Amino acid sequence: MRLRILAAAIAAVALAVAASTAAGGTSARGSAAATKITVWLQNDAQTGWPEIVAAATKAFQAKHPGVDVDVQYQTWGTHLTKLDAALAGGDAPDVIEMGNTEMTKYMAAGAFRQLTRSNYPNAKTWLQGLADSCTFNGKTYGVPYYAGARAVIYRKDMYRKAGIKKTPTSLAQFNADGKKLIKRFGKDRNFSALYFPGKYWYASMSFVYDYGGRIAVLKGGKWQGALNSKASLAGLNALAATVKAQSRANKTGDEANPQQALVFAKGKVASFIGNGWEWPYALDPKVGNPALAPAVGAYPMPSHVKGRFMPSFLGGSDLAIPITSQQVALAADWIKAFTSTESERNLATQGKVIANTTTLAAINASNPQLAPFARAAKFSWFVPTTPNWANVENADVLQNMLVSIFTGRASVQKAANSASSQITRILNAGS
Amino acid sequence: MRLRPGSEELAPVSARFPAATTATVAGTALHSRRRRRSWHRRALPVAAPYALLLPTAGVIAAVLGYPLYLLVKLSFQKYGLFELVRHKGHYIGTANYARILHDSQFWTVLGRTVLFTAVNVALTLVLGTAIALLLVRLGRFMRVVLTTGLVLVWATPVVVAVDLWRWMVDYEFGVANWTLTKLHFGNFLHHDWFANPWTGFGVITALIVWGAIPFVTITVYAGLSQVPQELIEAAQIDGATSLGVFREITLPLLKPIFVILASLSIIWDFQVFNQIWIMLDERPTSDYFLMSIYSFVESFRISEYGLGSAIAVVMVLFMLGITFVYVRQMVRIGEVQ
Repeated sequence: MRLRILAAAIAAVALAVAASTAAGGTSARGSAAATKITVWLQNDAQTGWPEIVAAATKAFQAKHPGVDVDVQYQTWGTHLTKLDAALAGGDAPDVIEMGNTEMTKYMAAGAFRQLTRSNYPNAKTWLQGLADSCTFNGKTYGVPYYAGARAVIYRKDMYRKAGIKKTPTSLAQFNADGKKLIKRFGKDRNFSALYFPGKYWYASMSFVYDYGGRIAVLKGGKWQGALNSKASLAGLNALAATVKAQSRANKTGDEANPQQALVFAKGKVASFIGNGWEWPYALDPKVGNPALAPAVGAYPMPSHVKGRFMPSFLGGSDLAIPITSQQVALAADWIKAFTSTESERNLATQGKVIANTTTLAAINASNPQLAPFARAAKFSWFVPTTPNWANVENADVLQNMLVSIFTGRASVQKAANSASSQITRILNAGS
Repeated sequence: MRLRPGSEELAPVSARFPAATTATVAGTALHSRRRRRSWHRRALPVAAPYALLLPTAGVIAAVLGYPLYLLVKLSFQKYGLFELVRHKGHYIGTANYARILHDSQFWTVLGRTVLFTAVNVALTLVLGTAIALLLVRLGRFMRVVLTTGLVLVWATPVVVAVDLWRWMVDYEFGVANWTLTKLHFGNFLHHDWFANPWTGFGVITALIVWGAIPFVTITVYAGLSQVPQELIEAAQIDGATSLGVFREITLPLLKPIFVILASLSIIWDFQVFNQIWIMLDERPTSDYFLMSIYSFVESFRISEYGLGSAIAVVMVLFMLGITFVYVRQMVRIGEVQ
């Protein structure tokens, strides 16, 4: 009896030890397998240009036969959380797509490998805005992937029916047209003249910059939140008035849940502010409505100053190699294949985004589906370039402010004050 | 006199309750008495229970103790993204704690969490017990129907349940808005339940209470079936109303069960995370921060892992504080037996 208990105890202990060593064994796999690289791309690529990804992998595999490329699609909302966890666990991917606003924080923390810029295709002609987002202290840590600017994507037929003869050239005209649209179609409670979800901060900040406002300014080496400056408040007030008059979108929702292009495809939205790729996405036969194709057009969002555009957010993505990657050479080669001239040309023509090099700018200008976005991209704004900026984004400071304004939880002034002081605190946090 | 059963009556009845925790506690108490007796006779068997406990203790130490140790260690460190990449933080004493305690947001969130927990626990226990009492009185068929419904709710995975509820209160296509409008409660088309945090938390509370009721109901129902029918009949003969019977007989007899249910509910509701996180598209605005979400956002969104850990430690201590009273009472109930 006693013996049996002892034996059972020993067996249990042995089992526990075995289990823990087995767990240890799995974590050692990274360095051994040189036959696979892991790539994290955003789901924009999955919905917009999966065949370009496949073509890049094919070109890469022609050079490296037998090397598997595991492309895993991520979402913007959670990919940094996953990256942090993966960096801590030493299990990060070999190539990662980063939003251009997210780069600085990670470059400053030393999370990415330094790259030799001249090794990559079109390095001399990269778009300046994107190349800047890949550079920290004069060193390169990323490769521009594509850029995007937003414009008003609209229904020509609805505009016509509402008696609008040409697209507006000022914000006042834009709002007057909105009124006509609401008058003509607004009986349907699902109709929006401009579909504008409450947390859509990229489009919102364009109003702020249009009125000469800023998110934050650098004063004597210190950042200061500037959303409550006079000019910023004018922009926020214009935004609040525009959204209130024209939009019946969810005030606490964002532009990706549901995808605004798909709401547009349902036919009860006359316009929304979207990226170039959202136009074809709305017409996608699988998820959108191809029948709308002849009725869709785009124009840059007009400024409050007649004849000008509102500055558009210069969005974009870069590709980087996390510091934990064991396959740096292979990762670099995959990036080269994916950002080759041919691949970038396809991104512009099929993906409807702005290619990473100025040598392909002609493609954008000559395509009616791209020209409004390319024009919008020329006049753009960008977030404050400091390592702490990503924390402002991640803490949803701007989204919280916008939701407060749109739902009436706080006055514009009060919401802007609160957001400004938070931004000041976060941007100046010791690092 | 018969309406108030003395403690001599209470003890044997509650010993028969099926609740596992009480049984374990009782078992431990019994066991310790036996061990004391055998101590003089044989020394070797004393080691056997400990040897048997060893694997369990080892597993607990590995999966609970070590992470807890890391959490506490992190909370005394500056550990941002820079440190994360290098796998090395540096000790900064209690600076993280000082920062939290001086942050007004922390106190707001703490207050909100306490209120949220209190409301959810109260609703869960009251409604759960009411349904259990209903179950006792129902006919066989309806009882099976109701129990099946409860078990189905219980069996629904959290993520699925949250998605169901999210669709019901959806801004564009939600059935809640549609139904309320059709029933002429007003114009609920495009009503945003989350624009106002009070109605938003109303939806979340409904979801959480809905999910927690089956466990409470089924446990209380099991307890009710153990209440001796003679006691109730005697009380009724003495002229007690059903409310009187419940207050004077059922409630005292089921007290151990309620203590356990309350403490478990407090622990669960105090650390609610998934429901809010998924319901609000993984980006809740700060009005919806409860402690768990606040800690997560500070850690994983702002990459202030030290600070986030400190919040988590405070949260654990706070929860220990609340549940201590209950745990002590639970152990006492065990000791009586």
